[in-house]
Amino acid sequence: MARLSIEGLCKGWDFPVLDELDLQVEEGEFFIVVGPSGAGKTTLLRLVAGLETADAGRILLNGEDVTTVPPYQRGIAMTFESYALYPNMTVFKNIASPLVARKLDRHTIEQKVTAVAKLLQIDHLLDRKPGEISGGQKQRTALGRTLVADPKAYLLDEPISHLDAKIRHELREQFQTLEALHTVGTLYVTHDYSEALALGDRIGVMGGGKLVQTGTPRELFDFPSHAFVAQQLGQPGINLLMTSLTEDGGKTYLRSRDGNLKLILDEEQRQRLNGRSNAEVLLGIRPQHIRILAPRQKAPAKHQMVDARIEQFQPLGSMGIAITRAHGIDLKALTPPEAAHIGAQEVRLAIFSPAFHLFDPISGKRI
Amino acid sequence: MSTLAQDPSAVIVMTVSDPSPKWFTGRKKSTLIVARWVPLALVGLPVLTLLAIVIYPTIWMFYHAFQNTNMIRLFRNDWSYVGWENFATIFQSERFTDSLQNLVLYLTFGTGVEVLLGTIIALILYEVVKSNALRTVILILVVLPMMLPPSIVGVLWKFLLTPSNGAVNHALLNLGLISTPIEWFNAGISLWSIIIADVWNWTALPLLIIYSGRVSLPPAIYEAARVDGASGWKTLTRITLPMLKEVIAIAFIVRFMDAFKFVDLVYVMTSGGPAQSSELPAYIAFQRGIREFNIGEAAAYSIVIFAFSAIIITLFLKYLKKVLKSQSIA
Repeated sequence: MARLSIEGLCKGWDFPVLDELDLQVEEGEFFIVVGPSGAGKTTLLRLVAGLETADAGRILLNGEDVTTVPPYQRGIAMTFESYALYPNMTVFKNIASPLVARKLDRHTIEQKVTAVAKLLQIDHLLDRKPGEISGGQKQRTALGRTLVADPKAYLLDEPISHLDAKIRHELREQFQTLEALHTVGTLYVTHDYSEALALGDRIGVMGGGKLVQTGTPRELFDFPSHAFVAQQLGQPGINLLMTSLTEDGGKTYLRSRDGNLKLILDEEQRQRLNGRSNAEVLLGIRPQHIRILAPRQKAPAKHQMVDARIEQFQPLGSMGIAITRAHGIDLKALTPPEAAHIGAQEVRLAIFSPAFHLFDPISGKRI
Repeated sequence: MSTLAQDPSAVIVMTVSDPSPKWFTGRKKSTLIVARWVPLALVGLPVLTLLAIVIYPTIWMFYHAFQNTNMIRLFRNDWSYVGWENFATIFQSERFTDSLQNLVLYLTFGTGVEVLLGTIIALILYEVVKSNALRTVILILVVLPMMLPPSIVGVLWKFLLTPSNGAVNHALLNLGLISTPIEWFNAGISLWSIIIADVWNWTALPLLIIYSGRVSLPPAIYEAARVDGASGWKTLTRITLPMLKEVIAIAFIVRFMDAFKFVDLVYVMTSGGPAQSSELPAYIAFQRGIREFNIGEAAAYSIVIFAFSAIIITLFLKYLKKVLKSQSIA
């Protein structure tokens, strides 16, 4: 039985924010909902928390229908994007607040709060007020308030999106190691795909008020069921080009609609496109599958060679992004950062063809 | 017009090569936007006004507080230095100590009730009244008394509280709450009449301040409280009121400062009577100076009031600064 299951959840009639959304978080699962801002991720969390009422559909916690149950009786705990700490209370009192509301005795409260604070490494800050601690410490306090509640499910709303990169990585590690989050069930919302890929046991990509695809991070990254999913995951974003299928001399090509880029399909891909002759195909190529070849270097196996010209190069420390123009088509490529491709240069690209993503241009679905 | 029509490129030259019109820069040596005397005049006039109506009278007051000035001596120009005599007169007079007592009553039951009522109504308005239109209507109705001039308020309440056939007594008698009309302007009660009128007149000010403070509290905190399971009462006492503490203090200070110079309703409603029983210090200063022409003593009264209010308000501000600092707002 799933920890948390959501069935046909709807919010908003004229302009639906959520449109018959289904979702299951299994026992002990860390489920991440990722999507662009305005996709309704926060609304989903607020509905599960009970801060808003559903227009249709059901929310089940441990098999129990809680759709109309008030927030505090649902047995969930939530962290808010803005932390929502009580500014007039100390860190200790902030963390203790769910326990105080349950009227636990002082000794138990003290024990639980100090244990959680130790776990989150904020035990030296317990006497301070939220105004006197840093953003990362505020987030840890908010997380502490959530952990101490010992809920049936955790709801985390963009918990680390507003922190600077270094603390974000620290907290990301913490999310992986915090046992509590991996024992009951956690619904985590973020717009940052890398957080999703790094943390999620499973990920759901949200768009149009629904989950477009759910699955493990690898499934979603390697086999996106929809062009939208492919676009959401990955930085720099996937190269998407509109192509049409052409046969020439016994080989099947995808020819770009703009420009004049021609890419050969292999047998397996041709099988998939069977019966679609002369049809349009939306082709997706991840930047890491495009390599820039050194002069006179041979293309590796299963790679296709394309002449291109480097328009722009961004060295990013651990990697570089080259924006190239091949036969009138812009292609982004991931390169080693040392490769100083400054200024317009004529190069050859090697494109790894087995990793082509083929989508239907009208429905956007994977072919 | 005609030159533009002849040469359309002239327009382009003007707008492109010279985006800043000529009048922003001086033509020759000076690059001043305006002549040198203009800023001096703009700042100087208010400063002169301030000197004339605030600073000069203040200095004048401090000087005459130590003189035996009255109206005749003032016109004859023959006042003389009397040291602390004016202050001694004040502190020895029962009239002053009585008025201080009245002031304390007025501060606790006038200003205090105004802030208390303002807080309660503001929170009810925010938490209970859900319709925006209704909220606006109530706010307008509540604010109306504040817009009336105090003299009108005084006359109005004098009518309402008239012992025989006044509206208030009439209503109370008809409701059976009292059996004989209350003598609203007798000794011992007349101060309360003033306080009632003042509460009616000024409750809206703290209400507005506290209402706007409540509006600006972040909603996420209340949602966190709902998830935590905090009851309505706990939310009020542990979250709303502590977070509004500073705003309430500010509302109190604003009314407090007004209380020290509070003269108008006393003057209109009771003239301090009967038998000086409803006088406040500022009213005595007004009486002694403007009515009885004892300018030296009135000046001394003003200084005493000034000192009192300065001390209390400084303490208040210190407290406020401490609170704000602890929440790292200031």
